[in-house]
Amino acid sequence: MIITVTPNPAIDKIYWIERLALDDGELPVMRATRSYLTAGGKGINVSIFLARMGIENIAMGFIAGETGRAVERRVRDEGITTSFIWVEGETRTNVTLLERGHEQRPIQITEQGPPIPPEAIKRFLTQYKRAVSRARYVFLGGSLPPGVPETFYQELTHLAQQRHVPVIVNAAGKALMHALPEKPWLVKPDTRQGTDVAGASLKTSQEIVEVGREWVAQGIEAVLVSHHITHDLLITREGAWDLEARDVQFKNLLGAEDALIAGTLSAMVQGASLLEATRFGMAAATASAESEELVVTDRMAIERVLPKIHIEQL
Amino acid sequence: MKVKEIMTKDLTAAEPSMTVRELIELFYRSGLSSVPVVNEEGRIVGIISERDIIEGALPGYFEVLYGITDMNHLSQKLREIEHDRIEFYMTPEVITIEEDEDDLTAADLMIRKNVKSLPVVNKDGVFVGMLRRIDLLKDLL
Repeated sequence: MIITVTPNPAIDKIYWIERLALDDGELPVMRATRSYLTAGGKGINVSIFLARMGIENIAMGFIAGETGRAVERRVRDEGITTSFIWVEGETRTNVTLLERGHEQRPIQITEQGPPIPPEAIKRFLTQYKRAVSRARYVFLGGSLPPGVPETFYQELTHLAQQRHVPVIVNAAGKALMHALPEKPWLVKPDTRQGTDVAGASLKTSQEIVEVGREWVAQGIEAVLVSHHITHDLLITREGAWDLEARDVQFKNLLGAEDALIAGTLSAMVQGASLLEATRFGMAAATASAESEELVVTDRMAIERVLPKIHIEQL
Repeated sequence: MKVKEIMTKDLTAAEPSMTVRELIELFYRSGLSSVPVVNEEGRIVGIISERDIIEGALPGYFEVLYGITDMNHLSQKLREIEHDRIEFYMTPEVITIEEDEDDLTAADLMIRKNVKSLPVVNKDGVFVGMLRRIDLLKDLL
């Protein structure tokens, strides 16, 4: 059993448009050629991927209102076990515009999410402690809604480590920085909003490897960092590797990072080494980036992309 | 079909130390009207419903009154118990079913015991989901 935690789930609405026509007349209207609606948030995307790979998992987090109900229903329809805490307000709706020819630069409008009161956090921790004793891995990912302390991932990592359950953290800013001293099993810094993460610069591959080695020396098992869209750098005690996806035809980058982690985790659960698992994860990310789907979960489609993933030891 | 294949995979539950007010908030936000009560290990120690709360506030209400004449009275009684732990109002004897049981056994149990839903447990007795009448009906179609 794997636990995924999404503190700030969302309904993700994606519109494909021909042209971003903000300068067309006084009241520009952009007609979508296609739209797509899904339950989202990092942990939920990972949960959906795992469920479609036949891996049992529990999705945890905070949900509210009608959008929360829609998130819960969609997650449950995937066969995922839900363990959400209900709060007052409304779960986020995040809107993304994908302009034809500019799919690498999606335009996103994200909401903050409902405020989470202290008693809801307390209830979450009670449910988390119950669930984590049965878990094989824990995935923590995404932004924190208002009211959730920056030490949230630190506390969840600590509770899992106490029970010897490996934790994957995919976050940015102080949420990640606080979690690092708890030595998660795998850290994937979220570099979407910038390459300065948790007090470290992750701009060049050299910087990434240096920071990764530093974190690994502090007791983190593995560090995985996306670099220049088509590269992922994996740093462990055994070494550092540059995984590159070649000849990628981008259509939708939105779920690629979540596919990377979910693919890696699913391959690990099925017995692959971390390096091989990361290669599978990167194939999942590449397949997702080449598809209009948020996250590609068709194993055959992912395996077809595997030859595009090249590994170089650094 | 096994119960685990058709159950609602939701772990929403209460803890014995939860207050009546917190439980009402949980029912209101989630839309549920009853939840299992579980201990720290996730084992079921009771079940509690909206009805248990009303009976807790107005003991004997369902048997005697069959009609409410004064909302203030109920409101006042609810306020008197709002900080009480729900373990005082839950039903400690819970009919459960194991996840590996088949749908026929579950349906038979629900009919014989006249219950709308059954908490589902794994072989270790840990709560893993709820089997509702509608889950069975959907399974039958």
